[in-house]
Amino acid sequence: MTNQLRFMAFAFGFLVLSVPLFAHHGAASYDTGKPITVTGTVTEYIWTNPHVLLKLDVKGDSGDITHWVVEAWNPVTQKSRGWTKDTFKPGDEVSAEIAPAKNKQPVGEVRGRIMINGKEFKQNAG
Amino acid sequence: MSNRLVVWIMMVMAAWVTSPLLRAQTAAPKAAADEAKPEKWNNIPPPRSGYKNKKPSGTAPRRDISGIWDSAQSLGTSGAPEHVALLPGGRGQEGGHPDETGIAKPLPYTPAGLAALKANHPSGPGVRQVDAALSNDPADKCDPLGFPYMFLWEFRTINVVQTPRQVVMLSPFYGNYRVIWTDGRELPKDPDPRYNGYSVGKWVDDYTFVVETTGLNPRSWIDHAGRPHSDQLQVEETYHRVSLDTIEYTMKITDAKMYTEPWLADDKLPLHLMPPDFDIPELLCSPSEFGDYNNQVGGVVIRDPSQK
Repeated sequence: MTNQLRFMAFAFGFLVLSVPLFAHHGAASYDTGKPITVTGTVTEYIWTNPHVLLKLDVKGDSGDITHWVVEAWNPVTQKSRGWTKDTFKPGDEVSAEIAPAKNKQPVGEVRGRIMINGKEFKQNAG
Repeated sequence: MSNRLVVWIMMVMAAWVTSPLLRAQTAAPKAAADEAKPEKWNNIPPPRSGYKNKKPSGTAPRRDISGIWDSAQSLGTSGAPEHVALLPGGRGQEGGHPDETGIAKPLPYTPAGLAALKANHPSGPGVRQVDAALSNDPADKCDPLGFPYMFLWEFRTINVVQTPRQVVMLSPFYGNYRVIWTDGRELPKDPDPRYNGYSVGKWVDDYTFVVETTGLNPRSWIDHAGRPHSDQLQVEETYHRVSLDTIEYTMKITDAKMYTEPWLADDKLPLHLMPPDFDIPELLCSPSEFGDYNNQVGGVVIRDPSQK
């Protein structure tokens, strides 16, 4: 009984540790260990190779606007995550969890949760 | 703490961990009338998890590997699946290492092979990754991928067509195709190098097709981790059709100039048969699209602008 319990504890512990994350191709350029959330208004959504790009105007505390570019993978991979060429439209209010550029430029890579106009955009694990 | 309480805590933690995954797998697509019908175009293959415990649906036909075969997301972004350029546990995706010392399954480089490796700066996640815009991978300029790179990076879904004298493989990534002659001819001796080389294939039994490839242009890399090859590279592939819907794919690399012994790039990688009406999405490399990307993102995120 004790051995069975030990095995179950190990199995569940392994399960906790092996949560899959979105694979990050740009690990060299992006701070994947320190994701941030950017919130802004969509100005452009480009459904193209090599990477789908989402452009956001993000308002700072003093009202200044920063033009952010957030990249995802190619359209085929994004489609398997549940994205389409119509997922975002200019004017949408978007919050996205991203890995920001290490050089502090307003560029990031999609990492996790995305909200569109206040609703969570449910993505597939892909 | 009592055993029962420990078990209960473990079960709650497991449920908490797996519930977002379950929600994701069962999430309904955006509600739109025409999205309720199964799509005829740009099909998405099942995820790898969909094959767990799946029983074969029938016996394999003899001497036949034709069909649409999917590798269940064998993307190879960190290099050949059997020798990813990552440290044990999948760590080391951020680059920063001059060579592959310490990776989980090191390759047996000759001195020339190691020197050639170090001259290649890959853009995919791995111990030697560089910023994407600083990569010198010819493939990142949309040069032909060549073989075996075309099967070791973004393998995805291929279309295999079998004729009386050839097996032709069509790969969506970079729009590659390769021709394998099955008319009994011998490989050429000392041929002009080709990106996709020269291939001959034969059935060693009713369910095993073996392909030999030579004459490969060393301008393209072996894989997305920058593994080099010389003009002496020989690639041997084994397509073992184990059932109606599965091929086990093995690829062996032999190149005495670069590696002290042969190594397996793929070892019984399962390829899964797709329905005959599966439409493979396009994934071509456009130099102008890549240029636009580098202007907006790739070139912007370079950490040391003096390296540009």
